[in-house]
Amino acid sequence: MEGEPVQTTAADTEWGRQTDVSSAGSLQWPTIDGPLGVYNEEAVKLAKSFYYGGFLLLPLLWFVNCFYFWPVLQHREAEPLIRRYVVKSGIGCVLFSVVLLAWALTFAFGGERLFGSYWKHLAIFDIDDKYGPA
Amino acid sequence: MEKGILEMVGGEIIGIVSPVSICMLLVVLLVHTLTPHGSSTSVATIAMMIYNEQPNDSFVEKFKGGLLNAIVFVCIVMLVTFVLVGLFYFRFTKCLRVYMGFSAFTVLAWMGGIVAVELIQFFSIPIDIITFAICLVNFASVGVMAVFFCRMPIVLTQGYLVVIGMLVAFWFTKLPEWTTWILLVAMAIYDIVAVLAPGGPLNMLVELAIARDEDIPALIYEARPVLPRQISGPPPMSSSPTPARTRRWSNRRAPRNPGVGRGNSGSNSALDNLWTSNGQPTSLITEPPLAPEVGIIGSRLVSSTGDAGMLNSISTVVAGHQATESNVDEDTVPLVSHGTNNSSTAAALDGMESGMHFQGSDQGGSESEDEGLGLGVSGAVKLGLGDFIFYSVLVGRAAMYDLMTVYACYLAIIGGLGATLILLAVWRRALPALPISITLGVVFYFLTRLILDPFVVDLATHLIVF
Repeated sequence: MEGEPVQTTAADTEWGRQTDVSSAGSLQWPTIDGPLGVYNEEAVKLAKSFYYGGFLLLPLLWFVNCFYFWPVLQHREAEPLIRRYVVKSGIGCVLFSVVLLAWALTFAFGGERLFGSYWKHLAIFDIDDKYGPA
Repeated sequence: MEKGILEMVGGEIIGIVSPVSICMLLVVLLVHTLTPHGSSTSVATIAMMIYNEQPNDSFVEKFKGGLLNAIVFVCIVMLVTFVLVGLFYFRFTKCLRVYMGFSAFTVLAWMGGIVAVELIQFFSIPIDIITFAICLVNFASVGVMAVFFCRMPIVLTQGYLVVIGMLVAFWFTKLPEWTTWILLVAMAIYDIVAVLAPGGPLNMLVELAIARDEDIPALIYEARPVLPRQISGPPPMSSSPTPARTRRWSNRRAPRNPGVGRGNSGSNSALDNLWTSNGQPTSLITEPPLAPEVGIIGSRLVSSTGDAGMLNSISTVVAGHQATESNVDEDTVPLVSHGTNNSSTAAALDGMESGMHFQGSDQGGSESEDEGLGLGVSGAVKLGLGDFIFYSVLVGRAAMYDLMTVYACYLAIIGGLGATLILLAVWRRALPALPISITLGVVFYFLTRLILDPFVVDLATHLIVF
């Protein structure tokens, strides 16, 4: 699809995105909001700040980065400045979720057998019973 | 392609009725799951400072106690609103924004955490505290950023606003019953006074924001603005940064003159270009959301004149942009935040709700006249979050009795919302959105509970109908 710049799919026109005739495979709006979103330097700054913000233990920011700049991810040659950050955010998000999911599932299915008495200390509802409002 | 009036006006109304309905649905689900018969533990809030309702008290005592509670609450709300107006007047915007950010974070993290823990307990999901903490902190931080500070996907911002409304509303449903009903009525009355009376805080806020041509710091839900025409593409990289999507309000009696006060606002000139040079698509784009936005801020339905009288019922606000210093730091939804306790939360929310000005536009409706005026008939609808909250509180409290009352109250509220929109078209000024809906909702609740419910239940148990 990227090799044919003049092709416009129905979905593209519906969103107001038409591949520019003049430049091959270029993207019109870098965000999923289309013309209501950010573009140009604003977009680069935003992508960068989301990427660096995600390192503060906020993988959701990485996810939002990928979600927001989804058109940039889709078209491989679009917006290289933005794409750097978005791709790295995507990788970070996937890695973090894999780790988190692995840990959560281990906890959920391991139960007492795996953790012994620590299970009680960690599970939410037990903690809530101990410390929460009566 | 041209859309008919029905599509455009209907689309906007749907754009505001949907999130209200979703919020109400979520609150009803939460109430039904977690506290189907009212909260067992009394929650100490400011709304219950004076009188703590016990189930054994007599009718008169409960009524008097509830009334006292409601009066105290309304006074506190009014006080906090005046404080916020004062802050706005003396331009302590940084302070306001920090306060709002902090409050939103508290709502999302603390109240959201408590609701999440209750849900986890209810469903016995084995989540450990580390995962839970990470998820919660993430959720709250991104929420605060989405609502206040950053440009984020519009669905995300809208979703977070609905979630904030839902959490505060769920918290309010923990109040005892009499207090809740009297409080709702009191808030509706306060709303009328605050918006329509000349000395009311919300009225003052509106006037201030109009006079200064600034954003109102308020918690406002904004439906996705609809673009009026085909946009060809963003301007080239070097030219203009994305303008800040701030909300500009202006009085309809003082339509903005193209050329007046343009020096300091890039957006205005962009809008100007929009209308004076029709054939240049690039100038259109420097003004993302181009469409005028309908405003029903907070408890205010702001009316505006639609273009060519077509969209008279909805107020339009042009999302102008200012040449702000920081691009990322935009007041897309400047927010009145909640305080760490519920009353000031409600106060803040409520206070800011009314801050809706609408884009005054000349009637003539000719597109070239005013910015935003004839920017197509469609625009985003805005509704203040306080409205979400009080509607949801009403429906949540109705859910504690029976689902029949829920349906009746839901229809009443939506009908009231529609009626308020019509009034908006007629009066074209800032209007409170609470009174009609709350009145109808309360009336329908009591009618359903006292008259319809025994009727239907008797018929059903005797297998006559239903």
